[in-house]
Amino acid sequence: MNRALRRISIAVLVMFVLLLINVNYLQGFETASLASEPGNSRAFYATQNQYERGSIITSDDVTIAASKPSASANDSIKYQRYYPYGPQYAPVTGYDTLYSQTGIEAAENSLLSGNDSSLDVRKFIDLITGKSTKGATVQVTINSKAQAAAYSALAAGGKPGAVVAIDPSSGKILAMASYPSYNPDVLATHDGKQLVTVDNQLLADKSQPLLNRALEGAYPPGSTFKIVTSSALLTQNPGITINTNVASPNQLTLPQTNNLLINNDGESCVSGTGQAPLITAFAQSCNTTFGKIGMDLGASALSAMATKFGMNNQNLTVPLTVAQSNYTIPPSLALTAYSAIGQYDDTVTPLQEAMFSAAIANGGTLMKPYLVQQVTASDLSTVTSTTPSVLSQPVSSSVASEVGKMMLAVVQDPGGTGYAFNASVEGVQIAGKTGTAETGVNNAGLDDAAFTCFAPYANPKIAVGVIIQGGGYGATAAAPIAVQVIKAYLGNQ
Amino acid sequence: MSSITAPSPAVDPDNPLVPGGRSRRRTELIMLVFAFALVLFAFANVGFSLKGTLPSGTAEYLGAFIVIVLAAHLAMRRFAPWADPLLLPLAALLNGLGIVMMYRLGAQVNPATGNPQVSASATGIQILFSAIGIGCFVAVLALVREPRVLQRYTYTLGAIGVLLLALPAVPGMPGSEVNGAKIQISFGSLITVQPEEFAKLALAISFAGYLVAKRDVLALAGRRVLGVDLPRARDLGPILMVWAISLLLLVFESDIGTSAVFMGLFVAMLYIATSRTSWLLLGFVMFVLGAFAASKLVGHVGERFTVWLHPFAGNNPEGIAYQPVQALYGMASGGLLGKGLGGGQPYITPLVQSDMVISAFGEELGLAGVMAILLIYGLMVQRGLRTAMLVKDPFSKLLAGGLSFMLALQVFVIVGGVTRLIPLTGITTPFLSQGGSSLVGSWILIALLARLSDTARRPPPRSIQEEGLTQVVTLK
Repeated sequence: MNRALRRISIAVLVMFVLLLINVNYLQGFETASLASEPGNSRAFYATQNQYERGSIITSDDVTIAASKPSASANDSIKYQRYYPYGPQYAPVTGYDTLYSQTGIEAAENSLLSGNDSSLDVRKFIDLITGKSTKGATVQVTINSKAQAAAYSALAAGGKPGAVVAIDPSSGKILAMASYPSYNPDVLATHDGKQLVTVDNQLLADKSQPLLNRALEGAYPPGSTFKIVTSSALLTQNPGITINTNVASPNQLTLPQTNNLLINNDGESCVSGTGQAPLITAFAQSCNTTFGKIGMDLGASALSAMATKFGMNNQNLTVPLTVAQSNYTIPPSLALTAYSAIGQYDDTVTPLQEAMFSAAIANGGTLMKPYLVQQVTASDLSTVTSTTPSVLSQPVSSSVASEVGKMMLAVVQDPGGTGYAFNASVEGVQIAGKTGTAETGVNNAGLDDAAFTCFAPYANPKIAVGVIIQGGGYGATAAAPIAVQVIKAYLGNQ
Repeated sequence: MSSITAPSPAVDPDNPLVPGGRSRRRTELIMLVFAFALVLFAFANVGFSLKGTLPSGTAEYLGAFIVIVLAAHLAMRRFAPWADPLLLPLAALLNGLGIVMMYRLGAQVNPATGNPQVSASATGIQILFSAIGIGCFVAVLALVREPRVLQRYTYTLGAIGVLLLALPAVPGMPGSEVNGAKIQISFGSLITVQPEEFAKLALAISFAGYLVAKRDVLALAGRRVLGVDLPRARDLGPILMVWAISLLLLVFESDIGTSAVFMGLFVAMLYIATSRTSWLLLGFVMFVLGAFAASKLVGHVGERFTVWLHPFAGNNPEGIAYQPVQALYGMASGGLLGKGLGGGQPYITPLVQSDMVISAFGEELGLAGVMAILLIYGLMVQRGLRTAMLVKDPFSKLLAGGLSFMLALQVFVIVGGVTRLIPLTGITTPFLSQGGSSLVGSWILIALLARLSDTARRPPPRSIQEEGLTQVVTLK
């Protein structure tokens, strides 16, 4: 029996050796490949919670996201993320949950969490000096006064919409608010069950609080698109000036249809003579004038100009992903007329709305909008900082100056659609364009209100785009919000 | 024993008939102190890692643990003074580490559920079951003074074993499914028992008794096929019966792990008894055929194979392979040295406290810790096999060999399953897993091995008269 026992012993030895080889393989050689498996939440947790997560601060050093030690000692995650301003900055910061991130929290995750390879040298120094490593601090371009004004103005209006403000000369995003919003604090909970409950509530909410309308919402631009149509006209026809008389009929019969294009509420535009200077037609937002101009120019010319203003770009990031603003070439001349006044299939994001004005304000040069100013390591050294860059040159500086004059007329000319705001900010001239877009099937929905503007006219420092869903007239619902933001920002300078 | 005329230095000159002459109980005590120190260190490690201080209950938990293990040591001194000195310290160390892991899992909230993986009382309950297990250990040592008495109960224990195995499958029996396997029966809402943990001990004894009686017949060669002497067809009865039982286990309780352990235990004992390789081949082929058929017939079994072969394929990680894949992630995240006790996230793996407990150790103690634990098991098995070699009578030899092999097989099946060496089948990890039945069963197994090794190492009775005369001996 001992011979058999010896053989059994050898079999047992082989079994244990196999186990030992297998664990060596698993824990010695497969660690990297298993850590990078997509379903491995351990690796996610480990990288997310290895270091104290860095803060997010505004350009004027207001902390809008930060981490503190977790309240409970039983907590498996050492730091609790919190957002001092809650919903106001939610479109900027996004959230950082147990499982995922959005917004700047996602876009700058590797630097905030401290795992980015560019932090390696500093981490090594921390290791030697015995300091605890912290993730990098991300400074965004947002101005806290402009942001507060934008959010409170949206909230006061109570309708879904968004505001984006840009510095025209650099592309810095000065404000980015969306309403209704959500409080990222409730998603920062370490209780997975509560997180799922809250997340489901937010997802089921019909008002779509999680949607960052400023970048992801796409709405018809309405008459604000006339900036593009005018730019195309003035660029293509150097003979035409803003004082040239253009056709301004009361009704425009559209080719191959029985449809009539009319002005707002069917009223006659300008004098009713059928002719008007371009600047007056722009200031009073005559649909018939620009519908005809659009048909004369052709859809491909409009499309080319819209694209130069930043539309039809599916790769724009700030670094948050920006939804594409669309100008689709219409299948008929009649629909081209609609597309020239920002209807048909035209859609823009509130950011795009601000970019229209920013390009005009900056002498025709459109700067690439950006949200991250600089990233600072925990030792206060700069890791990265953003240098402004040109996105495109939609129009020449002379055309930009002409379009700018027309936008000034919208607010300063007594007949202009935005005349109500001619003296809304003391000592500052605002130049803008209103838009009221029909929505829904057979235009059954409430009109969307849009407004794009820049200020001060002589020395532009801020360009603002506002879209309010179902707000009605652009001048009534959207423009006052833009004025609030301008007031807050310029008063702050 | 030929050294009477020429005593070697190892022989006590005052007591020449006692080979070795040392019971090694003091060695056992010193090794136990090592085990206590390791468990204390592990406790402190968890506490400092999770809360920055020594855990509040350390003194009570550790005190209780030390007291019950010392009780076992005293029982060894009293009832089995010649038993192997390593068995008790090795078992105590594993048991202690299991208690620490229960404490660790109960002290940290799983963010996904908002609760700890096990309740805070799990540590106390594990200690309570350790006490019951060691109580059974002492009882076995006290009641079974001579292993051969067990041979008398060959058929009784066999019947009890089969009955215990069949119990959870009885229709209407209160119980619950664990991961698709039906292996528990419940008494009330609090107490659940896994009868198989005791059935396998009863059957091991029964097999030993039966095979000792029949081994000469079973060793007879029948037809010779491909150079292998097959057993005679008329002797196939016993192996067919055990095979049938193991297949019934598969089909009615979906318990592929225990089924493999039973079949392996019987075949190994059959081989030890007869030294016939043909039995090994026959048993292996029969089991593989049976398991293959079962995998086609029983969905639960086939699923295990799919998960084993393609754990990461498709949407498996969210579905049926979630648990084994999480265990693999856990072990991989531990790497060579582990995250340290309290530093990992073992709570992500479902049921990490029972079947997958080795992955928690892998995550927090790393490759080094898992290898150490495997070597502890290996050493335990080695002590058991050594006992089998030393012990004289065939029944004890068979029983010691069978029990040791069963322990090895159980570790192989569960650790191999968790680490994806073989398909994962849910059986408990001896001494480490949460659960009373497994802990008590494991302690009884150690008690039997201790009793056997005591018999093996016990010196022959001392002569009380001059040599050359007819000797009168006292039998204990």
